[in-house]
Amino acid sequence: MTDEPKSRVVTVERGSPEEKRARFDAQVLPHLDAAYRFARWLARSPADADDVVQEAMLRAFRGFDGLRGGDVKAWLFTILRNCHLTALAQRERRGFVPLPADGEPEYGTAMVSAAPGPESASIRRDEERSLERLLGDLSPEHREVLILREIEELDYRDIAAVTQAPIGTVMSRLARARAALRARWSMSTEEERDAVR
Amino acid sequence: MPCAETERRLHAYFDGELDALGAAAFESHLETCAECRAALVHLKALRSALRAGLPHERAPAALTARITAALDQETSAPERRRWPAQRRSTQSFGRGLLAGAGGGLLAAALAFFLIAPQVISPRGALLDDLVNAHVRSLLPAHLVDVESTDRHTVKPWFAGHVDVSPAVYDFTAQGYRLLGGRADYFEHQRAAALVYQHAAHVINVFSWAGEGALPADSTRNGYHLAFWEEGNLRYCAVSDTGWPELLKLVSLIRAAEGQEGHG
Repeated sequence: MTDEPKSRVVTVERGSPEEKRARFDAQVLPHLDAAYRFARWLARSPADADDVVQEAMLRAFRGFDGLRGGDVKAWLFTILRNCHLTALAQRERRGFVPLPADGEPEYGTAMVSAAPGPESASIRRDEERSLERLLGDLSPEHREVLILREIEELDYRDIAAVTQAPIGTVMSRLARARAALRARWSMSTEEERDAVR
Repeated sequence: MPCAETERRLHAYFDGELDALGAAAFESHLETCAECRAALVHLKALRSALRAGLPHERAPAALTARITAALDQETSAPERRRWPAQRRSTQSFGRGLLAGAGGGLLAAALAFFLIAPQVISPRGALLDDLVNAHVRSLLPAHLVDVESTDRHTVKPWFAGHVDVSPAVYDFTAQGYRLLGGRADYFEHQRAAALVYQHAAHVINVFSWAGEGALPADSTRNGYHLAFWEEGNLRYCAVSDTGWPELLKLVSLIRAAEGQEGHG
């Protein structure tokens, strides 16, 4: 007799856990950096982003057997965004609202980290800072759709899945977001030119 | 500024979302429209500025290590999910529930579910849980957590909210409209509920991972419960609609699953 644990019928596992883990490592883990970047844009603080990413990776692992085809990154982002919204709602309800940045409204824009973009710590090139800042000034919907399309290169269908919005909404949101960012961008470059003069 | 329709097509063209015909048509439009050509140049400039201008950060090593450790634990002891991890998923489920309207009532219901399984016979408890979950779903503003008739929206939503990944289909053509999905809790896990509407009736289709004997179809407090199994998932359709209507939905789902499974 060995002291192996009594085998239990374990829920959704197909194949051995190790095999599942190997597939997960190969298919999902490569998107960890992208997930982290997306979380940094969604969450209020780096610590919140860490928590959301960790929770999302665990949930993704548990739900991994249910994934059939489709874009893995979009699937992971969907889970991540849900985790973020859940964490946000939970914090709201507890009345535990982290100190809002100056003049920041408490809800709706809760995802906006007012002035600094995700990584404000180090000093960067002006353009980088200014684009980050301009993006940070957009509404959460606009910022999100731009990140998903321009940076993460998801297609419309996947963006619709991640943001849980109809494709038509994604399309008009994207057009408006681009217009808004472009307007701010050309304004800021004009300001810089004026400053140089 | 181009008209709204042209603008939509401009963005879709830029994003590679037009099919070959649509793209060709738009290209011939471009030849004659200086405005759209200029807009395209701006779109490209914005994209390259964003791609070059935003920091490409990587997940911190400490976070990666934390995640790997958590996954290792999950891999080496999956049965942990049934006991210690239970507490965690219960908590996060509780959070989800309380987020909804009527938090107090639901908290009471949740407390009941947490205590009940230990004192009532398992079989009866499951039937009660299912009927209660169905009735609870009919409370105002609690029918669905994700409202969509699009199964491609509902399915990924479940991945982040429940422990199982059920089959999701819409049968509007057959008279059973998919209203959306919801997270629920029984059998010590976060179960998935799909919500269908048939005439004036709401039908909840619950799914969870179960073991032991499958309960027989039955009627409780006027609600019919039809059970079936697919793979390692248990399903139960609950409604106050008639048996034939309920069983028709069951056969539609099973047929769709069969097709997907073998197709």
